Amino acid sequence: MSSSTTTTALKGAQTTATAKPKTAGGINIVRWIIIAIALIFALFPVIWIASAAFNPAGSMVSQTLIPQNVDSVDELLVNFNRLFSDPQVPFWRWLFNSIVVAGTSTTLIVLITALSAYAFSRFRFSGRRSLLLSILVIQVFPNILAMVAIYLMLIQIGRYVPLFALNSHGALILVYVGGGMSVNIWLMKGFFDSIPRDIDESAMVDGATSWQTFWYLIFPLVQPILAVVAVLAFVGTLNEFLLARIILSDRENWTLMVGLYNFVQAEFTDDWGVFAAGALVAATPIVLLYLSLQRYIVGGLTVGAVKG
Amino acid sequence: MSAAAANVRGSQEKGSREPLTSNLPNLILRLLILAVADASAVWLAVSVIGDGNTFLGVMILLTALMLTVVVLIPNLYPFRWMSPALALMILLVLYPFGYTVYIAFTNFSDGHRYTQQEALALLSREQYLPEGEASYAWEIFRDADGAYALWLTGADGTAFFADRAGTFEAVTPNESGDAPFNNDGTPASYNGYTLLTGGERFQALADVQGLQFGDPENPVGIASRNAAGTFRQRWVFDDERDILTDTQNNLPYRVDNQTGDFVAPNGQTAPLGFWVPVGLDNFGRIFSNALISGPLVRVFLWTIAFAFFSVVTSFAAGLAMALVLNKSFLGVRVVRSLLIIPYAIPGMISILIWRGMLNPNVGVIATNMDRLFGWAPPIFTDPGWAKFGVLLVNLWLTYPYFMLICSGALQSIPSSIYEAAEVDGATTRDKFWNLTLPLLLVSVGPLLIASFTYNFNNFLLIEALVGGGPPIVGTSSPPVGHTDNLISYTFRFAFGAGGTRDYGFASAIAIIIFFLVGALTLVQFRITRRLEEIGENV
Repeated sequence: MSSSTTTTALKGAQTTATAKPKTAGGINIVRWIIIAIALIFALFPVIWIASAAFNPAGSMVSQTLIPQNVDSVDELLVNFNRLFSDPQVPFWRWLFNSIVVAGTSTTLIVLITALSAYAFSRFRFSGRRSLLLSILVIQVFPNILAMVAIYLMLIQIGRYVPLFALNSHGALILVYVGGGMSVNIWLMKGFFDSIPRDIDESAMVDGATSWQTFWYLIFPLVQPILAVVAVLAFVGTLNEFLLARIILSDRENWTLMVGLYNFVQAEFTDDWGVFAAGALVAATPIVLLYLSLQRYIVGGLTVGAVKG
Repeated sequence: MSAAAANVRGSQEKGSREPLTSNLPNLILRLLILAVADASAVWLAVSVIGDGNTFLGVMILLTALMLTVVVLIPNLYPFRWMSPALALMILLVLYPFGYTVYIAFTNFSDGHRYTQQEALALLSREQYLPEGEASYAWEIFRDADGAYALWLTGADGTAFFADRAGTFEAVTPNESGDAPFNNDGTPASYNGYTLLTGGERFQALADVQGLQFGDPENPVGIASRNAAGTFRQRWVFDDERDILTDTQNNLPYRVDNQTGDFVAPNGQTAPLGFWVPVGLDNFGRIFSNALISGPLVRVFLWTIAFAFFSVVTSFAAGLAMALVLNKSFLGVRVVRSLLIIPYAIPGMISILIWRGMLNPNVGVIATNMDRLFGWAPPIFTDPGWAKFGVLLVNLWLTYPYFMLICSGALQSIPSSIYEAAEVDGATTRDKFWNLTLPLLLVSVGPLLIASFTYNFNNFLLIEALVGGGPPIVGTSSPPVGHTDNLISYTFRFAFGAGGTRDYGFASAIAIIIFFLVGALTLVQFRITRRLEEIGENV
């Protein structure tokens, strides 16, 4: 909160100097008041959770914005130490699970959808149009609606293929990858279409196969869209909760989101500090990723995907 | 883009044929991989069909067949590129959708999750020890590893030794095993097992209760403090008469193919039923059962209201911030980045942070408002305030999205039209309502509908923030809350704590949601004219 007021004061002075003479000074003040309110609304929960993470008392009742009675750095880190040592909260394990699941899903989604998008963009074959339309229609049915069917299917398949059994990461990855096909094929196809076909044709004239053309020429050219799809898929699967909760039952196998949700079941207000520490550690890298890749994400979002 | 696509259309037949460079080893390798893949698919399909899940098995076979055809026929070369994606979509999107529809017409639930054969097989495994029929006196033995065994003496003086590894052998009292023998002729140890006496015997009794000893086909166990007996199969099914008999009390249960239960003359049902098609029963229950349809209507109305108000509030806030930040001034980029942070934090984490802050007893908002005004909103206990809280948190979560979208859209509106409007004497307000907003809605409109659809299915917020609560008074299990939306309602029926695990009913609700969402998406397509655009571009 304090940081927002200082920026407000600081920037307010400069804006008057740089603003076009068209806008009156009064409007500027109104604008900065709105910005200040918005910043407080947006950032207060963030500051509050950061303060909770460093509050040595650890419970919700005793929290103050600035931690009291702190004598040493160790005391500031009490919650983090509890988080990393509590056997009931295998935090690193959950984080590792999340990264494995999201990373594998993302890699598979990017590779498989790129192959399909290339075919849709470059080849002309009968049934192409109807197939594209069907894929568009398929995405109307979100896979969380089919949670019961997916759950029962995993029970059945899991009897014979342990890799995809319930309570395994393989099952979760399989479901994420299957659900991530249609939107991303469309996203990628649009971008592939914008790459001139002359490139392919000149390569083909030189004797390259379709595969060589794809892998050595087109794939490097479409990296911006690969990045968009990868970031959206990674953040999306990292944040997914419902399917992860249904599929993963053992504490050891949980993803981070399922693990953090578990705090609510227990003594939430007493474990508030530990939860805050976990939230801070988990959210910071994702926020940084988001802010640094903002350009790509906004581009991807406007094409049609909504944050999951 | 459409012109470019039209341009290429003439010259594209070249790429769609497989190049003739594939050589023999390559081909053999491909066929080998295909053979292995097909063999595993067939094995999996046959196994699954053997369990009675014909639908899934057929789907696996069809997918394998499709992949085989695509790999073998050169003309289908383009499909080879798409085959992984298509296979995944068939198995994980199409099949679950079809299966959801199918389950919605069955009584699939926790007590009815097996086929009739499977249910009978499971029932036939249940065994019991008939009381009063016990034929042996028993002594407990234990070996060094803690494994138990029984020394059994019949009324006629014959004795047997039975362990957990399948041994059931005749022994002779006072001769078999190692001395000393007790009054009944039981040895102190036999085959590495030692006789338990006194307190040890008493303690072991608790462990041994219910365990089966001896020949697995004809197991023996301890029935009471002084008698052991042969286990009996409790449920016996007569194929010809279609009667399941409970041998414990000789009640005949007939097979009811309407409800998927085994029913006794006194109306009692066997502990395990089987699933059968029940037609429109689940849908009938949605609309007829007062206990269920009462909350369902409320849940439905709230789902729509929640999605609508979420979109309106976050769009308004996002647009306002986009307008405020639409001028270039120093620090605008920093402000924008800071305002995006709520959107960048993983949703689950943000929602739980709010859950803590809104805690009615010790949360920061309640305590401070109480200190300042002597009153705090009862966010988690009052239905109205709970709805307000859910909307407030969703505003926080989603306004940055609309801010980003609107910023982009605002910049694409040419400034010349504003200049023209100014010449005509338009005020700032006129310009906003008559130019900015209509132009913005053209480009942002589809995303508003997409966001509506997303919030229609927003499970995470409802579940993680308030758990659907506060509960609606008078609803049966599972408990339904005032902030539950359709998807969390479905979840409670299928997976919720205290829920009924009624998969058939949950699927029926999912089908209804699907039609609603499908209708919304159709509207969205209409508005975006995306379908027409496809028509031009493909």
